[in-house]
Amino acid sequence: MMAVPKGRDEGRVARLAPLLMLVAVVLLVAGAAELAPAVVQRRITQGLINLVAVVGLYVFVGNSGVLSFGNVAFMGIGAYVSALLTMAPAAKGVFLPDLPPFLAAAELPVAAGAFAGGAAAALVGAVAGFPLMRLSGISASIATFAILVVSYVVLGNWTSVTGGQNSLMGLPIYVGIWTATVWAVVAIVIAFFHQESRSGLLLRASREDEVAAAASGVNVVWNRFLAFVISAFLSGIAGVLLAHFLGTVRVETFYLDLTFLIIAMLVIGGTGSLTGAVSGALVITALTELLRQIEVGVPIGTTVIAAPAGLGDAVLALLMLAIILFRPKGISGGRELAWARGPKELKLSQPAADGHNS
Amino acid sequence: MIERVLQTLVDVVSVGGLYALTALGIGLIFGVMRLINFAHAQLIMMAGYAILVLFSQSVPLAIAAAAVVAILLALGTERVVFRPLRDADPATLLIASFALSFFIEKTMIMLVGSRPKGVDFLPELARQIEVAGVRLQLLQIVTIAVSGALLIATTWFLRSTKLGLEMRAAAENFRMAQVLGVRANRVIAVAFAMSGILAAAVACLFVAQTGLVQPRMGLQLVVIAFVGSVIGGLGSLPGAALGGFLVGAATILLQTLLPAELRVFREVFLFVAVALVLLLRPQGLIPAPGLKARV
Amino acid sequence: MIGAGPVLEAKPDRRALVSVQGLVVRYGPITALRGVDLEIGAGECVAIIGPNGAGKTSLVSAIAGLVRPAAGKVVLDGLDVARIGLADVVRSGVALVPEGRNIFGSLTVAENLRLGATPRKDDRIAPDIDEIFQRFPILGQRRSQHAGQLSGGEQQMLAIARAMLSRPRLLMLDEPSLGLAPMVVDGVYELLADIKQQGVALLVVEQNATRAFGLADRVSIFGHGAIQLSGAPDAIAADTNFDAAYFGAAYADRGAPA
Repeated sequence: MMAVPKGRDEGRVARLAPLLMLVAVVLLVAGAAELAPAVVQRRITQGLINLVAVVGLYVFVGNSGVLSFGNVAFMGIGAYVSALLTMAPAAKGVFLPDLPPFLAAAELPVAAGAFAGGAAAALVGAVAGFPLMRLSGISASIATFAILVVSYVVLGNWTSVTGGQNSLMGLPIYVGIWTATVWAVVAIVIAFFHQESRSGLLLRASREDEVAAAASGVNVVWNRFLAFVISAFLSGIAGVLLAHFLGTVRVETFYLDLTFLIIAMLVIGGTGSLTGAVSGALVITALTELLRQIEVGVPIGTTVIAAPAGLGDAVLALLMLAIILFRPKGISGGRELAWARGPKELKLSQPAADGHNS
Repeated sequence: MIERVLQTLVDVVSVGGLYALTALGIGLIFGVMRLINFAHAQLIMMAGYAILVLFSQSVPLAIAAAAVVAILLALGTERVVFRPLRDADPATLLIASFALSFFIEKTMIMLVGSRPKGVDFLPELARQIEVAGVRLQLLQIVTIAVSGALLIATTWFLRSTKLGLEMRAAAENFRMAQVLGVRANRVIAVAFAMSGILAAAVACLFVAQTGLVQPRMGLQLVVIAFVGSVIGGLGSLPGAALGGFLVGAATILLQTLLPAELRVFREVFLFVAVALVLLLRPQGLIPAPGLKARV
Repeated sequence: MIGAGPVLEAKPDRRALVSVQGLVVRYGPITALRGVDLEIGAGECVAIIGPNGAGKTSLVSAIAGLVRPAAGKVVLDGLDVARIGLADVVRSGVALVPEGRNIFGSLTVAENLRLGATPRKDDRIAPDIDEIFQRFPILGQRRSQHAGQLSGGEQQMLAIARAMLSRPRLLMLDEPSLGLAPMVVDGVYELLADIKQQGVALLVVEQNATRAFGLADRVSIFGHGAIQLSGAPDAIAADTNFDAAYFGAAYADRGAPA
């Protein structure tokens, strides 16, 4: 695979090209945000948080070919764990009078809270993934839906710990454009090295043919499980970022609408490549923002024309359908970015399997 | 005591029947297309809106309209979305149906708003009747009767008609069925139409029970029914019906048996139980014949 | 190609049921058929012999409409197979018994047979099925059992009977003796001889040449995705090129057919 005639170092650079270019794109976006008005900067920050969530979903879905509906549950778990560990005890006293003492008193630094949130999500992912990853692809997908429902029910009804249906407010608001950027880069790096690792490559191979991969000694279940846990961790982090960006958490946030948004971003970008995940997150964030503006109202002359509420979601769903029907590998076409589009580089950077239409 | 047991039994069977009908509608489509149809929820929802529009004029008309709307929507989505994807893998079909489901729901929210609307559909069924000294709700008896009748009718259709035979053959091995002359378009269209009828029946019963119609209705039913069909064995129709019934019945049993403070967590118990069943039987309770051979 | 000239005699007196013209089939980078020409006339029995991987299954699959040719075409009764639906191939008189039988294991024996009559609209289906039960009492006894419970030989009989219920003019069989005991294979070939007697054309694909030679009017030796040798069974058996063609096809380097 490394038989690049140009020499070893150049080969390594070529191999890392997608990673370097995606990181460069993220840094460019962040740099542009730095210069933009505060409102736009907030939207871009939100976009980068979405990016972490989509890349988190990609680590499992893109490599295993199994759609997961459960990752927003991991976002919720990350958000609530970090919130509980970092909120000021006084604020917790107001919203959660019945909190167990050790939680009521806890006030961790925000970074520790973030890692705890990610770790908690990964742990839940491991426990849930243990039975579910043994199922065949389509059954596993449906089963991940159960994770979403269970987390929604638990977060929404475990009133003494989560506040139930009420919002938790007063979280430390520390996520701005650069925090989001750092985590976006971290997510991309983790996802890239996972997909280039032995486990990631084997998982991609099994996506094409589960039976053949299993017959050739590939432990599909284990590789899937590993990807699922990493994916859960990154989703947990995305939830942490969202919580500390908004300053509040609400169980309704972490349910179907966000699940749809994150999946739509990945599918529209292209499930087959990390480039697809990143581009989907950025492009769809921009698009939904535009549609939201239209829903709020666009001044034309002296009158304001507003589209009916819900237009944005309907358009997004329609776009997703159109992509599935007419460009099933998404915007990215299932490819990674590469320096040059010579045949060798293409072969190197093309994922082992070709998306979902085979 | 006897009364309480009987009452619970009726609850269990009526709710289980509703889920069995939903799972069967989903299972019919999965059988012939390997498609998990999220948009089944929107068939139920749109049938619900048909009832909302017409129930005050005539109940039979409302029921007929519910069936027509659900069948047309099922056939329309097959034609526009799923037919072009017929050769796609199940993961792509799943994503497509997920997107379609959201598209229909969000479009309805855009058109009619997301607020639930009250429907006083079949109020006469809300009354209690006495059966063998036990007071039962008439609606539950009707639900059980309708579910039973539709399960029997579907079974009869699949077992005893030529089209039913072709559908079962297509579910086991679609290519071989085609080689023998089974027409794919016809079999798939019939499966979608049947899933529309089942969705309309679920909508009628569900609307009569809850008295509400809203753009999000149906989704909870469908998700639980999905899980039921996984438990029963994806691709097996008896498995789908059985799994749907068991999952629906289990929700009610948990509702009855769990202490009050744990009742809100009944889905958690349900899905943990589901996970345990799947650990023991990853292929489901009644594995589908065609699926293993073809993997 | 060996012997292609003298032994490939045209049959102008018989209108071809199936005409395969310059057929090329590819699976991704692999070329399974590289330009095959073949005609089968009404009532004619053609055997295709060749080693594993020679492209025999691709040929019957292409005739049945199961794979789309990359080039060339298959004409059934004047119609291009690529233009008619998969389900209409059997309606134009061509039935397939695929490799591995592909009976429906979850359906009963009787249901499998009824499916074979899918294209028919007449009222002779039930009597025809009864006739099959008389000829194969074991199928009759097990008519209500799941076909998956039958033995391999019984499944093969069921698959052939099922295909015959569409009243084909051409019956294609892919490796009908594969995995069956010699005695069972005798039964299969007796049945095929009967079918031939009824005037139904046969296209039999086999790895094992001996049985097919006894049945066929014409034999084609397949290798490397092309016909290497073709002619009457006696002529082929006597042809000194036969071993070379058969074994050469199996063992020679690719691109250098013997």
